[in-house]
Amino acid sequence: MAMEQIHNTIRHSTISHDELRARLRDRGLVIVDVMPKETYAEGHIPRSINLSVAEIENKARQLIPNLAQEIAIYCAGPS
Amino acid sequence: MLEKLGYTNVRHYVGGMADWLDHQCPVEESQPTSVGQTASPSTRPLATRHVSWLEIVANWPLQRLIGFWLGMIVVFGVVYWFAGIAMGWGLQAGSVPVKTDLEGFGTAIYFSFVTALSIGYGDVIPLGALRIFAVIEGIAGLLIFGCVISKLVSRRQEDLTAEIHRTTFEDRLDRVRTNLHLVFTDLGSVQQLQAEQGALPGQVLRRLESTVRVFRGELQTIHDLLYRSHVEPDEETLESILANLMICLQSLVEINTLRSAANGQSMILDAGLRSIGGLANEICGECVPRVYAPALKESMDQIQELARRLA
Repeated sequence: MAMEQIHNTIRHSTISHDELRARLRDRGLVIVDVMPKETYAEGHIPRSINLSVAEIENKARQLIPNLAQEIAIYCAGPS
Repeated sequence: MLEKLGYTNVRHYVGGMADWLDHQCPVEESQPTSVGQTASPSTRPLATRHVSWLEIVANWPLQRLIGFWLGMIVVFGVVYWFAGIAMGWGLQAGSVPVKTDLEGFGTAIYFSFVTALSIGYGDVIPLGALRIFAVIEGIAGLLIFGCVISKLVSRRQEDLTAEIHRTTFEDRLDRVRTNLHLVFTDLGSVQQLQAEQGALPGQVLRRLESTVRVFRGELQTIHDLLYRSHVEPDEETLESILANLMICLQSLVEINTLRSAANGQSMILDAGLRSIGGLANEICGECVPRVYAPALKESMDQIQELARRLA
């Protein structure tokens, strides 16, 4: 039960456009683009790193070693 | 997805790239980078890029551009005419000053056109400071007229390119549909053999491997079409492709379940299936395709479920 609650709070945590914009230079926030490499190369939010859906499992730990790291995740559009 | 890996502080930017672009925020283009690299200030400055007035004008639509060009010519004509009235000297035709009546106004407009088009017959000439105006008009006229011409030419080019994109796209979609159907037929016969013989004999296994390879290639094509193309498939086409994809995945899952039970080992097959699962998952992933067709969510969810069972 407790685990599920935690899971739900995590799932529903969002970041607003304004906050993201304001924190573009904040190194405490890692921005993750989950689109495929090609789409990422065509254009992405500045400073974001690419972790496509296919790679997340294998590469996430390597790119973001700290599990408590604050992460903003986004993809193409409203989802 | 990151949460499942143990990350505790993940926040979702719901609007995504579409929202980001709507707010006209800066966008970076590059090759994928790692965290280490992003620590260096490699991003483009956030300040908007300086744009010259010429670039702004060149981006105007064609009609506005022509309107601006004609307007400029008239304004300059009026300036030449007024100079004649206000200061008593303005334009001169031969050795006679141009009059300040209506006829003179006509001459001024005529001179303005001849200057803006850089024809410069020389039958009417500007005097004194008006020469500076005439030079400025000549330069501006040339530049703007150049923009008009290039717009006309590139518009035709753009139409053509869009047409080519569209036809190629439809062509590829058609091919994908046909191929998926072939894959399905092939999987069906493998399934039949499997039902008859229990396990998969070597020959049938080879056939399954080859079908899986073709299937994988088709999925790659669909993936590319959805994520990279500049044309969007209509919902109907996407629906039929997704339906095909689903039945193919369905029978592949069934074959695979039986195969694992009867321990038919094949490294190639395993790798192929993993890759198919991954691709199918991305095709119906959280991202791009749902922007195209939100109504197709249900079949996408089913495909994802199948893909998970496969991978």
